[in-house]
Amino acid sequence: MTDGAACAVTDLLSEARSGDRAAFAGLVRRHQRAVYSLALRMLWDQHKAEDLAQDVFMQLYRKLAHMQSDAHVASWLRKVTTHLAIDRLRQEPRYELVPLEADPGVPAEPAGGDPLLQRRLRALLAQLPPPARAVLLLRYQEDLDPVEIASTLDMPVNTVKSHLKRSLSSLREQLGEGFESAAAPEGGPIT
Amino acid sequence: MTIDLEKQLRDALRPAAPPEGFAERIAARIEAVRLRRRRPSPLFLWAPAALAASLVLGLAALHQWELRREQQQGLQARRELIEALRVTGEKLDLAYRGVSDASRPANPDDAGT
Repeated sequence: MTDGAACAVTDLLSEARSGDRAAFAGLVRRHQRAVYSLALRMLWDQHKAEDLAQDVFMQLYRKLAHMQSDAHVASWLRKVTTHLAIDRLRQEPRYELVPLEADPGVPAEPAGGDPLLQRRLRALLAQLPPPARAVLLLRYQEDLDPVEIASTLDMPVNTVKSHLKRSLSSLREQLGEGFESAAAPEGGPIT
Repeated sequence: MTIDLEKQLRDALRPAAPPEGFAERIAARIEAVRLRRRRPSPLFLWAPAALAASLVLGLAALHQWELRREQQQGLQARRELIEALRVTGEKLDLAYRGVSDASRPANPDDAGT
């Protein structure tokens, strides 16, 4: 981010804190993709994801006075979104079947690579237990390292690393041959 | 050929766009919360009525207490008056007897001579 852009974001936060609704709308637009994508890929349902994302931003509105910087807002939003999503998943029937053909989590801008494989990966991710799913999303969607994931999810770093290791092996196993194994995620060894 | 699973995961998990009008719906929810906060709560609407009612009840109770006090003072005055009349009656009776005794002849036999 350039100095000017960083300054504009800080202004947006301070204006939103002083009650400027347009500035708060700007903050929402700035973070809505990250929050909505996390909620969507945790809950695997567009309506539930929108409800959850709206609740998260409503909480942000009430907590604006405590926000110190844009980075603080971003990490706070990630933390609240993942915790709320895990809580909501715990309240739902435990073994809900995930239809593989329905994929609500399609990226806004298609990336390169195999779209069928990516769709299958998203569906397999949706079948992981909620904490493991949150760990993988924070690692590969939000690009956080294990220490940041541990602080976001309030879990020990070793638990994060073991979730990453087990989830990646499980995905490799389900996807079959051809996927390279024993690769530690970037940001250090996971064991 | 091996496929890099982590790269595939990063590609698969690129951010998804929220539904159209997402930010506007949040703005509408915030506006609704603000309006709800601005509208006085039913407690504030009832507070003046409750205050007026307690004032009226208080005044009525005070008035009743005043009446009762006056009534008791009247009864006390009546009792004191009756007592005073009784004492006065007794004194008059005593005086009458004194006067009667004094006007009676000392020897009743001398009265006809």
